[in-house]
Order: sequence, then C-alpha cells, then structure tokens
Amino acid sequence: MIAVQHLVKEYGKFRAVDSVTLEVKPGEIHGFLGPNGAGKTTTMRMIAGLLKPSSGRILVDNHDLEIEPEAAKGALGFIPDRPFIYDKLTAGEFLRFHAGLYGMSNGSAGGSGPSNVEGRVHEMLDLFELRQWENELVESFSHGMKQRLVMSSAFFHRPRAVAVDEPMVGLDPRGARLIKDVFRRMSERGVAILMSTHTLEVAQEMCHRLSIIQKGRIIAQGTVDAVKQLAGSANDEHLTSVFLKLTGGSGLQEIDEI
Amino acid sequence: MRSDARSVSFPFLLLPHIWASRNRVRRRERGDSLRGLLFGSIGVVVVVALSSGSYWLARQVSAYEEFGDYLLRLGLSWLFLSFLAFLAFSGVVTALSSFFLADDLRLLMTTPVAARRLFFARFVRTLAAASWMVVVFMVPVLIGVGLGRRAPAAFYIASLTTIAPFATIPVALGSACTLAVVNIFPARRARDLLMLMGLLFAVGIVLLLRFIQPERLMHVESLPDIADFFATLQSPITPMLPSFWAGESLFAGIKGGVDWLHQSALWTTAGAFTVLLGWAHERWHFPGYSRSQEAPKTRFARFVALDTLAAVLPLSDVRRQLLVKDVKIFLRDVSQWVQLLPLVALVLLYLYNFRVLDLERIPYMSGFVKNVYAFVNLGMAGFVMATVAVRFVFPAVSAEGAAFWIIRTSPISMHDFLWSKFWTALAPVLIFTELLTIAANFLLGVDPFLQVVAAGAIIVLTFALVGLATGLGARYPRFGADATQAAGSYGGVMFMILAVLLIIVTIALVGWPASIYMMSKTGQYRWRLTPERQAIVVITLSIFVTIGVATWRVAMRSGVRALEGMRE
Repeated sequence: MIAVQHLVKEYGKFRAVDSVTLEVKPGEIHGFLGPNGAGKTTTMRMIAGLLKPSSGRILVDNHDLEIEPEAAKGALGFIPDRPFIYDKLTAGEFLRFHAGLYGMSNGSAGGSGPSNVEGRVHEMLDLFELRQWENELVESFSHGMKQRLVMSSAFFHRPRAVAVDEPMVGLDPRGARLIKDVFRRMSERGVAILMSTHTLEVAQEMCHRLSIIQKGRIIAQGTVDAVKQLAGSANDEHLTSVFLKLTGGSGLQEIDEI
Repeated sequence: MRSDARSVSFPFLLLPHIWASRNRVRRRERGDSLRGLLFGSIGVVVVVALSSGSYWLARQVSAYEEFGDYLLRLGLSWLFLSFLAFLAFSGVVTALSSFFLADDLRLLMTTPVAARRLFFARFVRTLAAASWMVVVFMVPVLIGVGLGRRAPAAFYIASLTTIAPFATIPVALGSACTLAVVNIFPARRARDLLMLMGLLFAVGIVLLLRFIQPERLMHVESLPDIADFFATLQSPITPMLPSFWAGESLFAGIKGGVDWLHQSALWTTAGAFTVLLGWAHERWHFPGYSRSQEAPKTRFARFVALDTLAAVLPLSDVRRQLLVKDVKIFLRDVSQWVQLLPLVALVLLYLYNFRVLDLERIPYMSGFVKNVYAFVNLGMAGFVMATVAVRFVFPAVSAEGAAFWIIRTSPISMHDFLWSKFWTALAPVLIFTELLTIAANFLLGVDPFLQVVAAGAIIVLTFALVGLATGLGARYPRFGADATQAAGSYGGVMFMILAVLLIIVTIALVGWPASIYMMSKTGQYRWRLTPERQAIVVITLSIFVTIGVATWRVAMRSGVRALEGMRE
C-alpha cells in the first residue's frame, strides 16, 4: 500500500504541494486528479523517491521512504509520464537489467509464476505484447511500445504498490485497453495503484477512489460517487463537469459557445 | 493579412542559430570565466606558436631565393591539400547533422519555405561548422608567412578571397556525398558509417604525417632531401586540385600580384558546386530526409560473450547488471567508441617513435638522462589518462541522461551506483595506461627499478584520476548534454585542472626519490644512499600514495553525496 501523510514540497517561498494526505489500500486503484500545475507530478515524483519532501511522510508497504528508501523502492513500481529508457539496450536486456537492480537473479525471481528471471522476462513481454520485440533495440520502438516496456518493468519485480503518472498518454486504443486490463488484474491480485491522470473517463471507469488536488492541496477525496456528491453534482453522469466545478474551471465551458 | 513563407529569405532561417548564440553569450553560467581563461590562454599560445612557426619557416626558405620560392609554393599547395581532404570529410559529417538529423528540421520541413532557400540556409550553416577550425588554423599561419616574407597588402587580400571559395568546394563535395549516402542507407546507419569514415580519415592523416616525417624540414642541412620530399607529394593531377589553385593565388599575392586564372578557377568551381548541390538537394533531399525519419530494424552486436563473462565475475547482481548495461551501451554507440581511435593512433605513434629512435647515436638521450625520460613517459601516460577520463569517465553519470529515473527509483543506493561506475571505468583505463607506460619504458631501455616505480605510480594515479573523474562527474552532471558537451562543462574543466596539478605533483613526488636512487647508482661517494636519503625516498613516496588515495576517496564520497542530494 501507499500512505502519504501531510506531504509538503516547497521551492523557495512557493509551496507546490501543501500538506497532501492520501492512502491507497491493497487492491485499490486510486485516481489522482488535478489541473495542470496543481502538484500531481511533484507528488508522484516524491512518492517515487525522485524528489525529497520538505516535510511529511511517505510509506510504501509500511516502509518509510526516508528511513528505509531501498525497502520502500523495492516494493514500488514507478511509471513516469515520459518513458525514457536506454536506447541501446534491447527490450529483453532492459528487463534483465531491471531485474538486477531489484536484486532478482535466476532462481530468485520468486512468486507463483516462473521461478527465474528469463521466465519472468518472457511472461512480462507476453503480457504487454512485446515478445516479438525482445531482441530489438529500444531506439527502434514507438512511443507506445516504450510506454508498455516501462510498464512491464514496473510490474516485473511484483511490487506491492505502483505509482503511475499519466499512463494513457500516447497510447492507441488497443494499448490503452491493454493497460487498463493489466491494472485491473494487478489490483485484483492486491497491488495498490496510484494513478495520476488527466483522462477523466479513465479515472471514472477504473478508479475505486479519487483524490483531487488543486494549488497543491487536496480539495476532494473519496469514491467517485462521494466526490460527485461533494461537488453537488450527484446526478452528473460525467466526471468532467464535477472536476470543473471543483477546480473552478467551469467558466472554460463557456468558451465552447464562442 | 497573409505572408508568403516561400519568399522568406535564407538568412532569415539562420536567425534562430544567431539568436541562440547571442543568448548563450548573454547568459553567463558558472565556470564561464574559468573556462574562458583556460581555453583563451590555450588559444593564444596556439595562435602565437603557429604564426611564429610559419614566420620562422618563411624566413628560413627566403634565404634560398628561387629554390626558396619553389619550396614556399609547394609548401602552400601542400598545406591546402591537407586541408582539402579534412574539409571534405568534415563536410560529410556536418552535412548529415544539419541537413538530415537536426531537431529543428522537424519544424522547418513542415513550413512552406522554398526548398532552395532551406538548402542555402543549411549549406551556410554546414560551411561555417565544417570550416571554422581550418580558418582559425590558417589565419595565424598565413599572417606568419606574410610577415616572414614581408608580403604586401595584396597577399592578405588574396588570403581572404582564396580561403572562402577554397573551403566551399570540398564542403559542397562532402555534402553531396552525404546526400548520396543518406539516400542509400537509413540515416542512423549512415551516421555510424560516416563517423567511422571521418575518424579513420583523421587517424590516417596523423599516421601519414608521422611516416613522411615533416620534421625533416627543421634540418636546414638536409635541404636537398626536402626537394625529394615535396616531389613525392606531386602528381600529374595536382594542378587540377583547388589546393594547387589556392597555393598559386597566395604565392602571387606574396609577389604583389594577382593570379586571376587560379582565383577564377576557385570562384567558378565553388559557385558551380554550390549550384549543382542546390539542384541535387531539391531533387533528393526530401526522399533522404524521409528515410532518416524511418526507424528500421538496426543491426547490432549482442555481445553474448560479455554476458557470459559478467556471469562468472564475483559481483553482486546489481553491479553485474550495471556493468553489462554500461559496456553494451558504450560499445553499441559508434559515436562513443570511435573517439578512442585518434587517441590510439597518437599512442601508437608515440611508441613507434621510441622503436625507430637509435638512442645510442643521440648523445643526450643515452645514459642518465634516458632514465629521467621515464618521468616524461609518466607525465605522458598521465595526460593520456586525463584525456580519456574527461571524455569517457567524467560523463559516465551524465550519460544516464533522461533514463536516470530508472536508477533513482530502484532499490539501489547511490553509493553502489557510483562505485559501479568507478570500477567499470578503472579496469580499461588501468590496463591501457599500464601497457603504454611499460611498453614506452621498455623500448627506451629505462632502468628496471624505475620501470617498476613508474608502473606502481601509474596504479596510484589511475585510481586517483578515475576516482576524481567519476566523483566530479557525479557532482557536476549534465544530463541533457552529450558526452563532449559534458566534458567541456564547468565540472569537466575543473577536472582537467585538478588532473594536471595531480600529474605534476606525481612527477615531482616520484621523480625526486627516483633521482636520489639513480644518483646513488653512479657509485660516487657523495651520492651514496644515506639513511637520511632513504627516509626521504620513503616519505615522498608515502606522501604521493596518500595524496592519490585521498583524491580518489574524497572525490568519490563527494560524488555519492551529490547524487544523494539530487532529491532536494
């Protein structure tokens, strides 16, 4: 699971993240929504261990990221919004490298599936429909293929929690469908997934609970229905109008009338 | 209001580069002053050396009247000939980048700018990028020649009107070659091929210069041989080359006249080549550019042996995978490893010189002084090591680039990561410099004791320099930059300064005790190895080892701390 407690990030006098608290339980898909510049990516980067919080705590699988960074990172899979990977490695080599980083070797991959790294490599490449590209350099991959490869690495070491930043950007409908299926399957297996996204349809379709952040603060939290009620839009079918009401962007709708 | 983008003039297309350069000059970065001072001083020294050298040569040959004039004409022609080949290859490599791989092409190719104007803008850029180095080299050389021969203003005017068309011709040819290659091979593969060709060419030039031994020019008593030397460079096609036309034009300038024939040949050929290239670009640039956007399956080596070797090394899984990843990425990136070729060529030449030197016939190279030369070798190995380290070890952390998040979000400590980088770099650098030092000292016939001392000193120096490069590379990373830019950054320059200081300290601290030992071997009573002198030997060598180890450990610790602080 992921637990974030009173998380703060300040850049000089500017407070990008202001006392954010949220919890993602095992098996839960938690949507993290907010307008541009609200503090989503900053929060995600702190959870991934890329940014140091000014204050507050982050727990991953009950390991405090500040006190036990390696144990916390070992339990987490992180998927960034832009999939930068080593261009000169093949997909298979990248996953083997990833296995090494997470201390997995042949015979120690564990879990109920294949008992070695090679088996796990093939399992993940099959799952993300990349098996035929196993021995091709990443530099020849499309954006969507790179995104799927990063996802396969995030789930490779059987993390207890996954933090994913904008998972659907640049994916075709088939790729998006695949990712949704994988996320659902992983959550059924007890993986806690924190998903930052702008795609409200995806959040509405997949997330058990939502947190909406604006100007660095959580302004709404709960199930999709609870958030709708909070916005006074319990009868609204779509999350978009709820989101715009909460974040003060409803005026933008008027632009359509121009 | 609509404007017709097709009427945009080609100089307008150069504005982004000019503005970017202007902004770069305006925006001062940390280390600009240090870098400016260092590179400025080096530049002044090089310019003064080139102009003084050419002035001296021009004065020497002027003493021989007609024969001197003949030598000067041949010399100018030969100078331009070597630049001709260099410019052609430089044009090949630069054109690939500016016409096919530059990022801004993705923007420009979608705009309705006329193909011809885009060509001219790109060709001016290619010409400037490919020839600035030659121009910077030639200006002080020609000023030296002009002053040496007390040439009139006509010579300096001829220099200007000669260099411009002379540079245009080979660069246009090189660009045409690139255009053809890109239309045949995918651009990514073409880039590898062209870079390899360019570097092999550079290595070839260095080797050629070595084997024809231009230093024979320095011995005036061997002048009759020099005529033979130049004669070997002549062939029936020489008068057909722009280098010959340029040499003749400048020689006419020295004599106060104007060589209209060869000037015309230069300008009309440059103009014709530019027009023809423009026409070829209009026809074949877009198909070539289109191919360069495709991402076909590239062939690459799998390095199965590396996996096998890494599997048996006594390393943790993390370090094993980091090692395999770093080595594979380095070996698969042709633009990285080909840069080792010129260095290897220089080292081979260095060793070749010792092999051909008949030391016994050179009085000042025999006996005691020969052993002192072991420390020149130590310095040479140190500088080679510093060059390799600043280019390949210093950028090791920066090379992670945008993919560094993979390491930072994985459960490994920055300590393990940086030390893996250190050990990966240490082994090849140590083997390379040890072999260089041992081979040079052996060929020179240095005293066996000094050979052992030098070999030991290299081990300490390697740990210190590789540690310093790794640590500073982590302290001052440039993730967005390529390896060359990282090497020239503030941290890279700081590394070079510290490395040079360390090499000087090494030579002093190892040379002093070694000289005490060598003096004692002369058998003279006053140079005997007294207990005080033995103590000096032990203390100085201990200080050297302490400084080396401290540099290594402190730099690495500082690098690890800097990486850990990146989360701030």
